[in-house]
Amino acid sequence: RKYMRSPPTPEMATQEVPLNETLAHLKTESETLKSKLEEERAKLHDVELHQVAEKVEGLGQFVMKTRRTLKGHGNKVLCMDWCKDKRRIVSSSQDGKVIVWDAFTTNKEHAVTMPCTWVMACAYAPSGCAVACGGLDNKCSVYPLSLDKNENLAAKKKSVAMHTNYLSACSFTNSDMQILTSSGDGTCALWDVESGQLLQSFHGHAADVLCLDLAPSETGNTFVSGGCDKKANVWDMRSGQCIQSFETHESDINSVRYYPSGDAFASGSDDATCRLYDLRADREVAIYSKDSIIFGVSSVDFSLSGRLLFGGYNDYTINVWDVLKGTRVSILFGHENRVSTLRVSPDGTAFCTGSWDHTLRIWA
Amino acid sequence: MKDGIANNSTASISQARKAVEQLKMEACMDRIKVSKAAADLMAYCEAHIREDPLIVPVPASENPFREKKFFCTIL
Repeated sequence: RKYMRSPPTPEMATQEVPLNETLAHLKTESETLKSKLEEERAKLHDVELHQVAEKVEGLGQFVMKTRRTLKGHGNKVLCMDWCKDKRRIVSSSQDGKVIVWDAFTTNKEHAVTMPCTWVMACAYAPSGCAVACGGLDNKCSVYPLSLDKNENLAAKKKSVAMHTNYLSACSFTNSDMQILTSSGDGTCALWDVESGQLLQSFHGHAADVLCLDLAPSETGNTFVSGGCDKKANVWDMRSGQCIQSFETHESDINSVRYYPSGDAFASGSDDATCRLYDLRADREVAIYSKDSIIFGVSSVDFSLSGRLLFGGYNDYTINVWDVLKGTRVSILFGHENRVSTLRVSPDGTAFCTGSWDHTLRIWA
Repeated sequence: MKDGIANNSTASISQARKAVEQLKMEACMDRIKVSKAAADLMAYCEAHIREDPLIVPVPASENPFREKKFFCTIL
């Protein structure tokens, strides 16, 4: 307990403040604990993932190209999500429009105009019967999807979440009843859709939270978030507690996505790298980067088996990484501006990208 | 009792105390070796790679995005 033994200053002698409670001592204790944490993590760092993966068979040549182009947004596409039916997609744009598409036919099935611009987040409900969206309005609203194409969707809108800054991401949990949100106000929150009640809030990020992803349902009630504080935090949804934190990126984390087994997650950052963090080893286990890649990653997602990691970049490209070997296996061109959002379809047959070039593309 | 300046440091102390508690909690975690974690990640890939349509393509007729279908509307 060396840090408790420093000589008392005149202030401390007159105030009745216990030695171990002063700010300086707490900061020292913080630093000591952080070093211990790094030491413990380092002890288990016996090998690199790509070394263990040397014996794994290499992947063949990839033939992936644009199979559909969805045109209709009047401005930058900011977010998209797949419906569980593997064919419908919801997308949102800077122009305030939220569109539901049939990706097989490219037909638009629904369109709603939000009262704000920059709709940065959208999500499909598990039932396929509603979509959630929000952005600069600081809210997350739910729109039930009507079978009647003529019905005005905006009339049935339900305001669910209220933050004190922009909504950056939203996701239904495993039912239509609850929504998880992240915000520029530095927090994440869990809401009851029916009542709009705040069920749990998650404090710990030191700046805007930009993204979140729920753990696959088999792995329990956790989710991961990434923010402008360069941290990726793993949270217990019931207690609101941050259970693990990772700080190895050198800039904002724009996207986080769980590995399909739930034992790891990937992140994409403005530092032009994607990284893989293993939750049980409690550390970063891979970096996906190249000297030639200097633009930020906006969005990442895994293929069904977890072997491929797709990254959408601000240089208009998609880089495809071999998750185990750490090498790039393909680079895809097509968009004419930043790729802002990327999701693999629920059955893994395709992935969709949205771009500042106003379009969405389906790749397979 | 405490003046305005002291209230500021009360908030900072509270924040610093929370940070220390958080770190103490994180220190208690049971971790596994990277070699074990890596082996498990590889095993998952191996077990599922054959069903991954973007790696082992299904016949074009079974992938609705790859099949060449022409949609016509009757005018």
